[in-house]
Amino acid sequence: MIAFDPVRLEVFKHLYSSVAEEMGMVLRRTGYSPNIKERRDYSCALFDIKGRMFAQAAHIPVHLGSMPLSVMEGIQAYDFSPGDVVILNDPYHGGTHLPDITLISPIFIGQDSTQELFGFAANRAHHSDVGGMTPGSMPLSNELYQEGIIIPPIKLVEVGVVNQGIMDLLLANVRTPDERAGDLRAQMAANNKGVERMGELVNRYGRQEVEKYIYGLLEYAERMTRRLIGDLPNGKYRFVDRMDDDGLNPEPVEIAVTITIQGDEAIVDFSGTSPQCRGGINAVYAITLSATQYVFRALIGLDVPSNAGCMVPIKIIAPEGTLVNAQPPAAVAGGNVETSQRIVDVLLGALAQACPDRVPAASQGTMNNLTIGGWDPERKRSYAYYETIGGGTGACPGADGIDAIHSHMTNTMNTPIEALEYTYPFRVRSYEIRRGSGGEGCFNGGNGICRKIELLHEAQVTILSDRRRFCPYGLAGGNPGQSGSNAVIRNGVEQTLPGKVSLEVQAGDVISICTPGGGGYGKKTG
Amino acid sequence: MRIGIDIGGTFTDFVIFNEESGTFITDKILSTPHNPDHALLDGLEKINQPTQPYIIHGSTVATNAILERKGARTALISTQGFGDVIAIGRQVRRDLYDLFTTQPRPLVDDEGRLEIQERVDHRGQVLTPLNKAELPILIDKLRIMDVESVAVCLLFSFMYPVHEQIITQALRQAGFTVSASYEVLPEFREYERTSTTVINAYVSPIVDRYLGGLEERLEVAGFQIMQSNGGSIRATEARAGAVRSILSGPAGGVVGAFNVAQTAGFEQIISFDMGGTSTDVSLCDGAIRVTNEAEIDGFPIRVPVIDIHTVGSGGGSIAYADAGGALRVGPKSAGADPGPVCYGRGGREPTVTDANLLLGRLAPDHFLGGRMELDIQAAEKTLESLARNAGLTPWLDLTPAQTAALGVIKVVNAHMERALRVISVERGYDPRDFSLVSFGGAGGLHAVDLAHALGIPHVLIPPCASTLSAFGMLTADVIKDYVQTVMMPGDAPFGKLEQLLDQLADRGSHDVQREGVSEDRIKLHRELDMRYAGQGYELTLPLTPDFVHVFHALHQRTYGHSAPGSPVEIVNIRLRAVGGVSKPTLPRSPLGVEDPSKAFIGRRAFVQEDGKIAHEPFYRGEHLQPGQVIAGPAMIVYKDTTVYLPEGSRANVDEYSNLVIEVRSET
Repeated sequence: MIAFDPVRLEVFKHLYSSVAEEMGMVLRRTGYSPNIKERRDYSCALFDIKGRMFAQAAHIPVHLGSMPLSVMEGIQAYDFSPGDVVILNDPYHGGTHLPDITLISPIFIGQDSTQELFGFAANRAHHSDVGGMTPGSMPLSNELYQEGIIIPPIKLVEVGVVNQGIMDLLLANVRTPDERAGDLRAQMAANNKGVERMGELVNRYGRQEVEKYIYGLLEYAERMTRRLIGDLPNGKYRFVDRMDDDGLNPEPVEIAVTITIQGDEAIVDFSGTSPQCRGGINAVYAITLSATQYVFRALIGLDVPSNAGCMVPIKIIAPEGTLVNAQPPAAVAGGNVETSQRIVDVLLGALAQACPDRVPAASQGTMNNLTIGGWDPERKRSYAYYETIGGGTGACPGADGIDAIHSHMTNTMNTPIEALEYTYPFRVRSYEIRRGSGGEGCFNGGNGICRKIELLHEAQVTILSDRRRFCPYGLAGGNPGQSGSNAVIRNGVEQTLPGKVSLEVQAGDVISICTPGGGGYGKKTG
Repeated sequence: MRIGIDIGGTFTDFVIFNEESGTFITDKILSTPHNPDHALLDGLEKINQPTQPYIIHGSTVATNAILERKGARTALISTQGFGDVIAIGRQVRRDLYDLFTTQPRPLVDDEGRLEIQERVDHRGQVLTPLNKAELPILIDKLRIMDVESVAVCLLFSFMYPVHEQIITQALRQAGFTVSASYEVLPEFREYERTSTTVINAYVSPIVDRYLGGLEERLEVAGFQIMQSNGGSIRATEARAGAVRSILSGPAGGVVGAFNVAQTAGFEQIISFDMGGTSTDVSLCDGAIRVTNEAEIDGFPIRVPVIDIHTVGSGGGSIAYADAGGALRVGPKSAGADPGPVCYGRGGREPTVTDANLLLGRLAPDHFLGGRMELDIQAAEKTLESLARNAGLTPWLDLTPAQTAALGVIKVVNAHMERALRVISVERGYDPRDFSLVSFGGAGGLHAVDLAHALGIPHVLIPPCASTLSAFGMLTADVIKDYVQTVMMPGDAPFGKLEQLLDQLADRGSHDVQREGVSEDRIKLHRELDMRYAGQGYELTLPLTPDFVHVFHALHQRTYGHSAPGSPVEIVNIRLRAVGGVSKPTLPRSPLGVEDPSKAFIGRRAFVQEDGKIAHEPFYRGEHLQPGQVIAGPAMIVYKDTTVYLPEGSRANVDEYSNLVIEVRSET
């Protein structure tokens, strides 16, 4: 075993994460769309020559475990030269769902003739439209082809020259090409920053030292994870929870997990999970991996670098063709945003049996994706609006849950009401905490949100949400949180809508979305 | 006589400038956190004042009221259906991976959030008239709740303030202190506006009582309060707009650092204020930079604030070995009480200061002017156990404790380097174009190493390093900022914008004149916040006839792309009114001989970066004279700070007695 200096370990941890963070700042500064600049729906990371992630700027947990698979796909598909950039979004080749586009750049070090491959810089950003059935590319689909343009790993840039043919093809397939082009340029700039900064570090410390502490940090994260798992009692912990439906068939879809803790290792086995379904809530393996990594990373409870080392002691079994390891051409738009949340719920549900004092009750378990598109006659333009809505978090042993906030796999901001009404033909009728929706208990779950939006002109509304039938669970005797509800109010008459729905609305219609509360913890006394 | 008074957590600093003689005196006394005015009044009594002084004061009264949740009992009045905006915020959590994460409790609780029927749209047109019949009921509720202060923030009130005005008037008549958003911040984005207004309502009564009490007891020619934007305003004004002084603590330091640097001929600086528990860094690119995106305790404040990045590491940060085998420093701090182990006041865990002491970088006999004894054995013992816990192998000839100490310095420097990169690289600046101005008690020991790591060519250390903040207050101009959301298309006629800005300019000029500044000393800066139509972020630029062209160019420069054909929007108009005050000039002496031997204390052993033990000269900073030159490795000991000059660096004492250090370059 190589001996690592405890001081250098800490110093390099700061160095590498500041490179990833600087990439993120470049992306945010040069990004074009509000999705990147305001909602910050992106992630940046660095990889060694074998494709192991060694640093990540923490932005969106769902990107966490899935980026490495993108880089592996890139490495397998190509030999790299300095100045290349590989682009991809194909969920079956390193992606998650089509709006998330990943760019991978090789890091070469050394002088012109003696350049050697060192590793990779990569970033992923959620693009607000990549074509497909409905504006915003989060449709109620039944196959991948309906969700937008599919980009397998291809070289968008070769030795510093953009392949304009690919770029043109790509932009011809999306609704807002200027915005896409701007965001893609920003993504390239972010990778360039990562390449440049890693080059500087190699100059300053030498390749050998830099690589030594990459491995040092991978081992460090592994050690921390092993320690956490080692603290858990050996045993098998099983938990099953359900998604309401897939948006096409009314039947619930089950996710089952058995976590086996054996010493300082864990086996996470999703056998027993429902087969992949027709509607677009299928999760590719990358998402299952992300959710698992998130749960263990969060349980460690310490400031551990998010890197490949965290996953070494954890083995995932996700049977092919199930909801948690979907195969082509299954529709996947909602897997990233909805199913990922339920995977977290079942993992935490299982682990609560192993360490009840460290796991909160279920949070809202959905992202309540709302997409509205149409023609705005006042501003004389077509528009696509996309937003996710927070809810309640589960109560903790020792504290109530939090009201009206994003939990687990996402953390994107809302759009201010005043910004919304300046930009879109909407009027927000109310934006309130949904009191009483958190599950009661010794500690109460957090409350959800109620948001009512009036459409001033006809529009196409798509809602992709879950936990409309099955409630977020409570723990240790706490009550479940209330399920969410969607409705349209037309001429004063309220009509309930399903959890996953796409509908034409008329001027004056009001869309009402109430998001779930978190589960309670412990029996309510008195 | 002008006196700058800065109340900090540990010390209350005084800088007294005698205008007739042109001389400065500084003084420090222990702060009295429970009654901050006690230290201020005691200190003033000590100073022999022949005439009534002119005082500029900065305090953390407003900041602490928020951090300790000791503000006034506050209620909030919102548009019906939107009372929870303040609690929902931007729906994001602070820590991604903390399953037990908490959110700061809103300053107005559930019960205090009241709604009233009314609604205005984005054009300022009334959709639902204000239901005035609800006002008496509201007032009754407020009385029952025993509310002291009320915030009023309605949707789109910056486009049509009438409803807020009616409510405000009724509440004021009923005897409540009211902060209305159309007065505090007529700017769009309801959560940020509400938050700013609520903070103002929450802290103003506290600040009002504090300053009112002082005003009663002080016999002064003038009493000015430091603002977060780097300017000062009259205490009477500050009492009603307390939100503008919330982040004024570190602002004085930046103003002082920039003033000292400019005088010494440096226009591009990064200020570096490393104290006991935290470190503040700020970048001045020929001018002090302000941001509109400040926060306190997680709550946004949308008034202009000096752009300062703070990290929770300082001399008191505690080092430990973590479960994975890394040596970590902070964020836990020993603070001022108990303080580092070597203070002998009950601190048990090793801190950065203990590490510096063990490495021989602090002269124990001169620490705080020799007023405090340092226990080096205790420091050694605790660092020894740190070395054991971390499994450190002794380096070269060093003891395990020294090895650990050097490790602690390297780790804390990694924190600082990261902070300096955030304020420079992440804002689009190259640190190599800047000079580092270091002040604060702990900065001098780390500044030159940090500059070296970042390629910064010069470090400047002013002679009054530990009271620079109070000095900065003496040099602060009177500054007033105004904003108004207008949301107009980019093809709005220049004349119309000029006319709108003239209204703000009249107000600004009038307000600054009321501060006692004559009209000819007032500068008015007219600015626009612009963006491409539909974007969610704005760029600020000066109002000029070709402002649209300037916007495209600025967008290109800032973000690397622009779209000259695309429609643009003017979101806000901004006005900054600056009333120039006569600034004290720093005493200047001609350069003398280079030989610094008169300040020589002796040769002492200390540990260098490379782990070698050097026997090198120590100098008394106060005895250095302009023109003298010291080559590293050396230590320069002042009574309140110590400067470490590593090998290859060279300190020149300039004519203002600043240390101007040339940093060894890489090649």
